[in-house]
Amino acid sequence: MPFVGEILKHRSVSIVGLAKNAGKTECLNYIIKRLPLDYFNVAVTSIGIDGETTDQVTGTAKPEITVREGMFFATSEKHFRQKRPLSELYEVSEEDTALGRVVTAKALQEGKVLLSGPSSATALKRWMQSLGGFGIDLILIDGALSRLSTASPAVSEAMVLSTGAAFSANVKDLVGKTAFVVELIGLPLYVGPEPKLHVSSFSSLDAAMLKGHPVVEVDGALTDRLLMAAKNVLGEDELELVVGDFTKVFCSQELYRAFVRRGGRLSVRMKSTLLAVCVNPVAPNGIVLDSDILCRELSEKIGLPVYDIVKNEYEV
Amino acid sequence: MKFREIVESPCGVRYLFDELRLQSGFARKVLLDREMMTDPGQIDDVYAAVREYVEMVHADRRRVEDLRFRLQGLRDISGTLASLKAGAVLDEVEFFEIKHLAMLAESLGQERDMDRVISILDPDGLKIGTFYLYDSYSGELRRLRDAVDRDPDDEQLREQLLNEEDRIKKNLSDLLRPHAAILQETLMALAGMDISIAQALLVKDFGLTFPVSGQRTEIHGMFHPEVRTVLRAKGLDFQRVDFSFDLGVPATVIGANMGGKTVALKTLCMIQYLYQFGFAVPAEAATLMPFDDIRFCIGDEQNEKTGLSSFAAEMQRIDRAITSIEQGGRVLLLVDEPARTTNPVEGTALVAALLQRLAGKRDLALVLTTHYTVAHEGQCWRVQGLVPGTKGRTMDYRLVKTASHEVPHEALNIARELGIDAQWIDMADIIMKRDYE
Repeated sequence: MPFVGEILKHRSVSIVGLAKNAGKTECLNYIIKRLPLDYFNVAVTSIGIDGETTDQVTGTAKPEITVREGMFFATSEKHFRQKRPLSELYEVSEEDTALGRVVTAKALQEGKVLLSGPSSATALKRWMQSLGGFGIDLILIDGALSRLSTASPAVSEAMVLSTGAAFSANVKDLVGKTAFVVELIGLPLYVGPEPKLHVSSFSSLDAAMLKGHPVVEVDGALTDRLLMAAKNVLGEDELELVVGDFTKVFCSQELYRAFVRRGGRLSVRMKSTLLAVCVNPVAPNGIVLDSDILCRELSEKIGLPVYDIVKNEYEV
Repeated sequence: MKFREIVESPCGVRYLFDELRLQSGFARKVLLDREMMTDPGQIDDVYAAVREYVEMVHADRRRVEDLRFRLQGLRDISGTLASLKAGAVLDEVEFFEIKHLAMLAESLGQERDMDRVISILDPDGLKIGTFYLYDSYSGELRRLRDAVDRDPDDEQLREQLLNEEDRIKKNLSDLLRPHAAILQETLMALAGMDISIAQALLVKDFGLTFPVSGQRTEIHGMFHPEVRTVLRAKGLDFQRVDFSFDLGVPATVIGANMGGKTVALKTLCMIQYLYQFGFAVPAEAATLMPFDDIRFCIGDEQNEKTGLSSFAAEMQRIDRAITSIEQGGRVLLLVDEPARTTNPVEGTALVAALLQRLAGKRDLALVLTTHYTVAHEGQCWRVQGLVPGTKGRTMDYRLVKTASHEVPHEALNIARELGIDAQWIDMADIIMKRDYE
């Protein structure tokens, strides 16, 4: 029963896919199936709906989550009315989303639900706080496509990453790209005196400005533009950039490597715990990668266990 | 006029509105939609409700905090109640909303009929705020659920179960329908409670007072909350001011620059609004009378956006006020330095003529600040003015009644006290004596 034990050590875990059809939903269902609900209260929700509705476009199955008896789940009014097992209503949020308000309920029997929870990281955090009275031990968050923000340590304590052929159809490329995300997740926590210089993604950096500032705090996103400027002023002086967390880094691997080669360092204020990486070797366009090679190469590269949970029917 | 229309009034209601510690978004909406009251009896009723919580804030703060905590759960379910009333069959989410409201109301002491509503939605007497179509609603429901559990693929059984659920929903909706009106009243009462508690806390936070309704306006020790906060941040005190006015007797306020005339006028306007929306007012004591219409004419920065010159905008504002006065009803008209942006000759003529135009209006209370000397039959007030020998640093903001309508020539003295270039001010003195005295 790989990595489920690790999940239980945290109060909130987000499951994030690096691409559509990277196997995130299977991953979430895999986890839910194996949770010891007898002595654990679990709530599950997703963020945003934009990614998920495109499923109708690509024609692949709609992501349905199987909730088990006794589990809490949050979804929009619309989806709650559409499909669900018999469930007891606990809360209806004040916040309105495109699909209506967010409904929190407890499943009284096992069944499939369409998840479409709070629409922003802020709303998600508010929802998590609103669960306070229900005695929830673990919150699972289905992070929608390109919404890494749910994985921010500001929202959830830990994360599971799912990647696959849908992200890249070439094993080498897939391993490289995934490893880069894993590397960012593993960025070290900043330790040292408070940086005196703060910049934002709109700031322009030059050598004169950085004089006497070996550490610079980046407020908001670290973009290619900003990193390029930082790289270009790197010379004899040291430079360490501090960002909020890995979800604030929006720059290309090549540029990041060049920055590091010149002696630059990147660190974070809050660190995420990556619990596992799951792979889906099948892409929606029919490409199938060799699962064993993929798992082995990725695992070697990132130094973490990698699971193909579809192929390997791990025991429940 | 609704509260939302006066929140952005330049008199500064916005500041107090932002300081209001409402617990629910619904109460905020209800407050913004409140109509201005013109009946003193109605205002006193609202005050009585707020006073209750003011006493509670002093006597039992813990109870107040408990009420406020519960009120966080207040949701606007008027849409659900409207469809219930209109005969719709509700679904689980809507039943949940109603049960939630009823239990909230009961816990907040608004108990009328709520036990009956709760008993419909809590057939097992569990006394918890959650909801689903309970098995105990019908033996058939229980039987079908068990059957579907055993054989999930039997479409016919599923269909039967759905039909039975629909039947129960209709039944519950019918049972709840007679309570729709009372539920709506309860919903509004809870919003009212949230607002009253927030108003009571405002009384404590800002040292507000409850005015009495009377036949004239007489205010002691009034202050402008926002200006006072700004001054306090600088370690300064706000000097409280007394003022009074009557219907049919125009009042002008004259006096030195920086003498607080505009702030006094803003405070008067704010106090009048607060009174007519059921808020306590920033003063030590006050007797107030309600008006059908309150008009505040003050220059603001919005003119440029609308492409009007400040003079044109001001003239139009006053013009609209005159129209309102002519339409009848009791009007309070507060005008800050009318025609100040034009030349003094025409300006003086415009102000004098405005007073004449509005003379004899028995239902009008007019307060006007000005720099121009204009004689009129009404009451004239003057800012006490600069305290001599303090280099322009100490101003006595009190307003005193004066028999002379002659505007005091204090600008040069103030400039001297401020230490402005002496040659310039001396020359101005010479020119003034030569040309005007």
